[in-house]
Amino acid sequence: MSLLAEKIYTDEGPVAIGPETTGCRFKNPLSKYRVIRNEKKCTKCGRCVEVCPYEVHSWGGQNILRRPLSYRCLGFKCQQESFYCIDQCPENALRLVQNPNYRSFGDKRWTADLLLSTWWMAEFGTLPYTDLEYRIGDSGGGFDQMRFIFPREFKDSKLSHDEISLDLVLNRRADGRPQVKLAVPWYGGGMSFGSISLHTMLARTQAAVKWHTLTCTGEGGYPEALMPYDDHIITQVATGLFGVREDTIQRVRVVEFKYAQGAKPGLGGHLLGDKVTPAVARMREAVAGSALFSPFPFHSVYSVEDHKKHVDWIKEVNPRCLVSVKVSTPTDVDMVAVGSYDAGAHIIHLDGSYGGTGAAPDIAKKNIAMPIEYAIPKVHQFLRQEGIRDRVTLIASGGIRTAFDVAKAIALGADGVVIGTAEMVALECTRCYNCESGRGCPRGIATTDPEMTQLMQVEWGFNRISNMYYAWVWQLKEILRRLGLKSIRELVGRTDLLVHLDYYDRPVEDDLRRGATLKGQQ
Amino acid sequence: MKVNPFVYEHTEKLLASRRDLRPTFHPGQCIEPEAEGGCGVTGFAANVPVSGRHIFQPSVQMHNRGNGKGGGIAAVGLDPASLGVSREILEDDYLLQIAFLDPGVRPDVEEKFIKPFFRVDASGRVPAMADWRDLPGLTVEPPEVWRYFVRVKTEVLQHFIQRHQLHGLAWRRVEDEFISQNCYKLNQTYYASLGEKKAFVLSQGRNIMILKIVGYAEEAALYYNLLDFKAHIWIAHQRYPTRGRVWHPGGAHPFAALNMALVHNGDFANYHSVSEYLSQRQTYPLFLTDTEVAVLMFDLLHRIYGYPLEYVIEALAPTTERDFDLLPAKRRNIYRWIQTTHIHGSPDGPWFFIIARNDPEKRRYELIGITDTSMLRPQVFALQEGEVQIGLLCSEKQAIDATLSSLAQEDPRICPVADVYWNARGGSHTDGGAYIFSLEPHNGRHVLHCYDKFGVPKTLPWHQKAWSGEVPELLPERDEELTAELRSLLADDTGRSLYTFLSQRLPKWYYANYLERLQVLTRLAQENDQLKAAIINGLTLVNDRRFDPGDKKRSNIIRLTMDALTTIFRATPTVGEEHPSRYRHLDWQSRDRLTGPPQADAVLVLDAADFPPEGDDCDARYQVQAYHLGWKRFLVYGYRGQRFTGCGFGLGTDGVRIDVYGSSGDYLASGIDGMEIYVHGNAQDQLGQIMKRGKLVVYGDVGQTFMYGAKGGEVYVLGNAAGRPLINAVGRPRVVINGTALDFLAESFMAGDVFKDGGFVIVNGLEYDERGRLRRQATPYPGSNLFSLASGGAVYIRDPYSMVVPEQLNGGELVPFTDADWQLIKPYLQENERLFGIAIDRDLLSVDGHLRSPEEVYRKIQPVKLAILSKIEDAWE
Repeated sequence: MSLLAEKIYTDEGPVAIGPETTGCRFKNPLSKYRVIRNEKKCTKCGRCVEVCPYEVHSWGGQNILRRPLSYRCLGFKCQQESFYCIDQCPENALRLVQNPNYRSFGDKRWTADLLLSTWWMAEFGTLPYTDLEYRIGDSGGGFDQMRFIFPREFKDSKLSHDEISLDLVLNRRADGRPQVKLAVPWYGGGMSFGSISLHTMLARTQAAVKWHTLTCTGEGGYPEALMPYDDHIITQVATGLFGVREDTIQRVRVVEFKYAQGAKPGLGGHLLGDKVTPAVARMREAVAGSALFSPFPFHSVYSVEDHKKHVDWIKEVNPRCLVSVKVSTPTDVDMVAVGSYDAGAHIIHLDGSYGGTGAAPDIAKKNIAMPIEYAIPKVHQFLRQEGIRDRVTLIASGGIRTAFDVAKAIALGADGVVIGTAEMVALECTRCYNCESGRGCPRGIATTDPEMTQLMQVEWGFNRISNMYYAWVWQLKEILRRLGLKSIRELVGRTDLLVHLDYYDRPVEDDLRRGATLKGQQ
Repeated sequence: MKVNPFVYEHTEKLLASRRDLRPTFHPGQCIEPEAEGGCGVTGFAANVPVSGRHIFQPSVQMHNRGNGKGGGIAAVGLDPASLGVSREILEDDYLLQIAFLDPGVRPDVEEKFIKPFFRVDASGRVPAMADWRDLPGLTVEPPEVWRYFVRVKTEVLQHFIQRHQLHGLAWRRVEDEFISQNCYKLNQTYYASLGEKKAFVLSQGRNIMILKIVGYAEEAALYYNLLDFKAHIWIAHQRYPTRGRVWHPGGAHPFAALNMALVHNGDFANYHSVSEYLSQRQTYPLFLTDTEVAVLMFDLLHRIYGYPLEYVIEALAPTTERDFDLLPAKRRNIYRWIQTTHIHGSPDGPWFFIIARNDPEKRRYELIGITDTSMLRPQVFALQEGEVQIGLLCSEKQAIDATLSSLAQEDPRICPVADVYWNARGGSHTDGGAYIFSLEPHNGRHVLHCYDKFGVPKTLPWHQKAWSGEVPELLPERDEELTAELRSLLADDTGRSLYTFLSQRLPKWYYANYLERLQVLTRLAQENDQLKAAIINGLTLVNDRRFDPGDKKRSNIIRLTMDALTTIFRATPTVGEEHPSRYRHLDWQSRDRLTGPPQADAVLVLDAADFPPEGDDCDARYQVQAYHLGWKRFLVYGYRGQRFTGCGFGLGTDGVRIDVYGSSGDYLASGIDGMEIYVHGNAQDQLGQIMKRGKLVVYGDVGQTFMYGAKGGEVYVLGNAAGRPLINAVGRPRVVINGTALDFLAESFMAGDVFKDGGFVIVNGLEYDERGRLRRQATPYPGSNLFSLASGGAVYIRDPYSMVVPEQLNGGELVPFTDADWQLIKPYLQENERLFGIAIDRDLLSVDGHLRSPEEVYRKIQPVKLAILSKIEDAWE
């Protein structure tokens, strides 16, 4: 076991899990900076290998220097260091430039820094030591304008990471149905077989198993390969009812109704014929090559008493499952939440507007649903007024990118979050927006093409996601430690710990890398 | 269009008189409507006054459509004696019912809003239970309600006329408007404008009253002592508000306007637009629910604008698409004007209104049901003719049956089975999506008429008479004779011999002849299992099949047959009992004694009546338990809307068979894989969702969203399907619908290639007449959306006169019907013949008495690859 292992609290007692370094699948990982070696000038003296403590330079064999691993380079801030290879090179054969690619990938929400730092976490499980911004994006709003204010005395906090628990219980109704306890305050969101490859699904699932949490099948059936992991699967009952069978409902501990997606409320789903390969068609019991529609509404649910009936149905089919209701965030989302609770839901899952893969139309993602940071407190407070906040689990999703986003969502009033894109990024998604076409995913993540699926192996993907989880657990514990909280549950609704930069102009320092020691222990 | 200048002027004047009612809003004040959930609604009208207790059972059986946070009832055509007033006062005076949330304000309210304007002919507190805590369901004290029988003082009205220049309008019309405005002002003063709500008007109008409660609807009847109160029309509503704490019933239904009460299931997407439309016409909502704006819309259009009902309905639920084109030219012209003028006031979204109203001018009481254009809410209408005439409308058929059973217990002339059940087709050219039950006085008693939006009456054959309620006495020698006669038929345990015998004689028999035999059969069924099986099967066939009932009503024959079957079912040894029979009985009392079957072919007879409709103790869960104990044959009766029959058995349930009797509930057969379910009667909504494999047979109609997302299965429906059947079905569902569907049949159907194991729907477009003969329906498919956006499978439609046109298809195409198609569907039609007796040659392939080839009778609809999609798809190839 790694020295770095973090302890999580599961049903079977505490478990310590560490990261497993898992490098990039590709020979030349993308990076912020580029160290360029002039092979004509280089004499292969090996000086750079000697000086660089970050292993940017390495021997590839006798008298062969590997191409520099630029993504490990500190960048221009290394200039002050004694080991700055550019200066140290006797032949002046090295050059440091900003990688022109750096400017071309990512977007305002998922900045290149965020992508690179997530890849870093997925590789090492640690925070990048380089100058990557790993906490926020550059959207100028939402979570990007919110900060935690850590009290000064955090350094004296006697809390150690081992004492801090991140667990999340899902059944608060006390209705006799079994409890489901997650060791981390998040689980994987619905991504169907069809939208992503089986390898991607398995990688997500195995990570969920390892970290004692759940992942969701989405609306595309329940591939047999997932059946060994039933207890960690949420199966989705969505508007198209694709692949929903009694046995899929009966297998799992949590069933999710997908009423709408925050990324595209009111639009339903549309799997283009291109992605309907024979395997996908078999799973959905449709015809290969012909487009599949998932309607916007449940045609059987046009009001809350229909919804109750719908929930009752699933509960009848599986008497031990918990029911999660995933809704988008319209302006009356608070009423929807109370209605869902009344109808018997255990989990209310709010899906805000920032999420969604490249397949969701941009105009919908940006303009329809309420941003999640507005929806969470609205619902949280309304549930409190109604006196039922402690009887229902409130889950938020839609643009949760980092551990900081998780903490912010919880501080705003959610009990936990659902993530989707972050896991794809851990698998080296570059946010290129070609998800909807079967052969369009250059990384073999959101594909169903059998050949492209082989671009990624399950074990590799599992390690990457697991490492990212590890990094998030570490960060969340560190955030809690600095706030002096022993449990993530104490953070729920603590808006007093947050500031919004539109209304706060004093400097804020929340970089966890500063002042942290190994495992955060003083 | 010609405009009557007087009508126009009067309307304008009336509206102008409301100018000073405009509420003052503070700048920046945001009017947010109360979020409204869905609901259960029920109502009935009878030509004799019936007591409030009969709204009780249907309300109880729709608890799962409300959450006990709001319920209410309304009654029209009241009994003057129970109110303690003379008939003249009841009919001439306005009955105002005011709820005092704060009883202290009553003197103030009377001083300001009653005494100055009205001549009060009678008043008093509405009687209620002494202590509300005696009703365990209530969590909030119901308001104190006072009622006032009033007329507007002559001088007050004259002043009103003077002030608003209302000369020339009928006195009553002005008085109506005065009452309405006065109620508005009262509500504005004591309800809407205050931070704290103190009082509001529950109902206003002549011979109509409304009571509401924070609780379930029937609790209003209990609390206000209405169980024995008699009225001609009753409506009730179970509310499902999503706001948690409700402390007063102001937001509960029914909502009132002058002489009317409205309950509503669903909600509007355009509340703000309708409110704006109303405020442009000097009409302002105060209770901030969409139901209130609905009642205001109706009142505005009908009372102020003077529109006839047909035009009011058109303004609320406009006729659209192809239905509009099929209207007669004259109607189309008027409707176009109505839609142009009132479309912004037309509620958008899922809704179903039930309206009870008194039309004193025309001296009639009316019960109206209107569904939205897309029929997004469930609705069932029913009618019973006879000495007692009853019209019913409801969210669920089971609630109609509950009302009738309740009524039948009090009045033997009433049959617990309605003569006819049907659904309205929203915004259609056929029935307009609305039916009206109207009660008019005739020779000293009331007569019930039922007609649709266009005034087309719904009639039942006059010559078929109801059972008088007499049971013949069976003398021993007659008994012996009949026993001998019947016993010979019972050697055939499929029951076909018995059925043939009975159905051939029933046209000529009196009820008594049949009853005698039923008595004998009930007794014989106890002798041994072989006889029992034969009798159950035979009587079930009487129930399922259509035949000529002669001068009797089919509904009454069904009722007598079901009574006999119920007696037979009940007389079954209880589970766990030692008994040679292979039948075992399970009911709510004996549920914990459930054990494994006594022998392999054992039959579990389950009385579902007392089981809750859902939850861990519902009968469906016990069926699953029994299945795990080894039971495979189920015979379930006594249904009162219990849901989820057949759900939860899991995969691979081949060999399981469930026979369902009574008013079965929603989601029946959802997700089944391999088992067979036979529904002996009409079925409700959401049948066969995600059905995977197996067989479902329905000897009647099916409700909304039938087989949504189904993956397969063989399904046979004797009657019609309501809206949205087979939406999003994939795989290989194979369905025969012998009637038709309201609309949206097989939208987004994705069931592969029919010749490569894909799925299809056969629509025969037939119906039975009152003599049990099959006939063509007016059109095999009336809706505008058939097979829309489908990408697989096919629809086969029996359409010998080519009445289905390409305009009804959106993404589908009519293609020639080939022999290959015939070979594909023939086995299903053969099974259809076996199940329902609908013969291929005699009934399906014969057109007007001539045998035709299948190609001449059936048409095929298959999907077209949409150009826009194939372009996208091709781009990636």
